[in-house]
Amino acid sequence: MNRILAVAKNTFREAVRDKVLYVLLFLAAVSIFGSKALGWISIGQDIKIVKDISLASTSIFGVLVAIFIGTSLVYKEIDKRTLYTIISQPMHRWEFLLGKYLGLMGILAVVTVVMTGVSAAYVLLLGGSLEPIYFLAVLLIFWKLLLITAFSLLLSSLTSPILGAIIVFFVYLFGHATGVFLDLPPQFHGTFAEKVLKVAYYAIPNLGNFDLRAEAANGVAVSGVYVAWVLAYGLAYTAVLLLLAALAFEEKDV
Amino acid sequence: MDAIVTRGLGKVFKEIGKPKVRSLDSLDLTIRKHEVFGFLGRNGAGKTTTIKILCSLLKPTAGEAFAFGENVRTRRARRLIGYLPEQPYFYEYLTPRETLDFYGQLQGLGPAERAREWDKLSEMLDLRDIAAQRIKGFSKGMRQRVGFAVALVGDPPLLILDEPMSGLDPIGRRNIRELILRMRDENKTLFFSSHVLADVEQVCDRVGILVKGRLVRQGRIDELLGKKTAGVEVVATGLDTSAVAALKATCESHRALDELERFTFADPEAGNRAARMVLEQGGKLVELNPLRETLEDYFMREQRPDERTGVMS
Ligand SMILES: Nc1ncnc2c1ncn2[C@@H]1O[C@H](COP(=O)(O)OP(=O)(O)OP(=O)(O)O)[C@@H](O)[C@H]1O
Ligand SMILES: [Mg+2]
Repeated sequence: MNRILAVAKNTFREAVRDKVLYVLLFLAAVSIFGSKALGWISIGQDIKIVKDISLASTSIFGVLVAIFIGTSLVYKEIDKRTLYTIISQPMHRWEFLLGKYLGLMGILAVVTVVMTGVSAAYVLLLGGSLEPIYFLAVLLIFWKLLLITAFSLLLSSLTSPILGAIIVFFVYLFGHATGVFLDLPPQFHGTFAEKVLKVAYYAIPNLGNFDLRAEAANGVAVSGVYVAWVLAYGLAYTAVLLLLAALAFEEKDV
Repeated sequence: MDAIVTRGLGKVFKEIGKPKVRSLDSLDLTIRKHEVFGFLGRNGAGKTTTIKILCSLLKPTAGEAFAFGENVRTRRARRLIGYLPEQPYFYEYLTPRETLDFYGQLQGLGPAERAREWDKLSEMLDLRDIAAQRIKGFSKGMRQRVGFAVALVGDPPLLILDEPMSGLDPIGRRNIRELILRMRDENKTLFFSSHVLADVEQVCDRVGILVKGRLVRQGRIDELLGKKTAGVEVVATGLDTSAVAALKATCESHRALDELERFTFADPEAGNRAARMVLEQGGKLVELNPLRETLEDYFMREQRPDERTGVMS
């Protein structure tokens, strides 16, 4: 456990020094404060729009951090050869991987908390109120980041950051629209493409499940069963992805 | 129990769209405990490949390797090995002290043990002055010292060093040489690769020579070179030109430098006759040197003819 934490701590430290992080945080802040401008257009709706856009930017910028830092997490260590003296230590390779993962999740936790703190303060400043559903929405966004980061880590131990980032990004986009894979026009029925898309439907995580933005913006509650189900769904997916990453990394030549 | 045993170790690199590269071919090595073993070979011979397999960075495609009887793929074997890579890289934003602390943690050492390791290693490798500087700005020599310290964290009985002296200045090389000897005195086993023959000659008990992924020879240096001398050098002065001409006719090579005439003879007997002649001709004998074959001569001899081209350094 100490070994995993030592790696996690270093990953955290390194990510804190990553310029990408600050560029993304700056853009997130701009979009949160800029959301008021959209609120003016639709009079009386501004608090709702600020909430909606804050959650959207927390999600998008969290995902971007997860993808940009996550897909280079292992690759960078191989490329810079810092891995040589680490992998040759009496530790398991999966311990290293898990440490990297936890380190980045630490960063993402801080990023999420900071963005949520800023948007919550902004909403209150504008005279709005915050319901528990708002924070539940943030929790599910973080849960989605757990999954995206695990997927980025898997690709980081398989391929280069650029290719990895592209793949994760597309999976992310499709993950928000998995329904289209089943809802096919009739000429697809019985074709090979249909089978492939069906597999894709079950393989690609349904990220729409994690999205409570509309509910949060309108202050509508959701059932505890649903939330519990989504949390379990996210954890199961994440566990499988981490396991695959560990398997891919175990035998890898570095 | 031997420190390192490899049996039929081989590595073929396969990458999609590229031809296969056989970097290592059925390597059988035995390094005894407390031995200093020099692993020689030209660029691309497969030294680093072997070392990376021993340190479980690469998975062999054939054969197996053991450190003190433990398969090198296991964690128990890694506990016994200290590794210094060819060009050690560490997290640039850490200081030497933080770096050693990090590796101590990876080894599962507690805070008190880690502090003790720092005291010992920072002294041994002269890291005190740079303890709080980030590695980012370090020179090659400073990095090598940090790398050596990292290899020594946890006091492993076997040290595997990949070209520990390459890229260092003469003082740096000497420091590393002294460290190797010091480690030998502490009863550690050392396995290191090099293509600098002089470095190996001075510290190794035994050497192995790798050519294109195959071990062509291993043994004690003096056995490989043989006890026999490779010739005699006669250094004389005060000879007239006719005497010099007469000696030149019998010798292998001749060089005149300042007042001294240097003649070399492959046959020691011819050297003796030449020495007598120098005295008979009224000259003065300054030196009579046995010429021993150096590891470099041996190395050149062992390379197949098609590989002699190219510069050894
Ligand atoms: N990851 C790899 N993929 C493909 N080929 C490789 C890889 N690593 C090494 N090789 C090849 O294996 C051969 C041996 O390389 P190796 O690095 O072991 O040599 P070396 O003896 O350490 O040389 P040097 O003195 O230059 O360090 C070379 O032909 C090299 O090109
Ligand atoms: Mg090498």
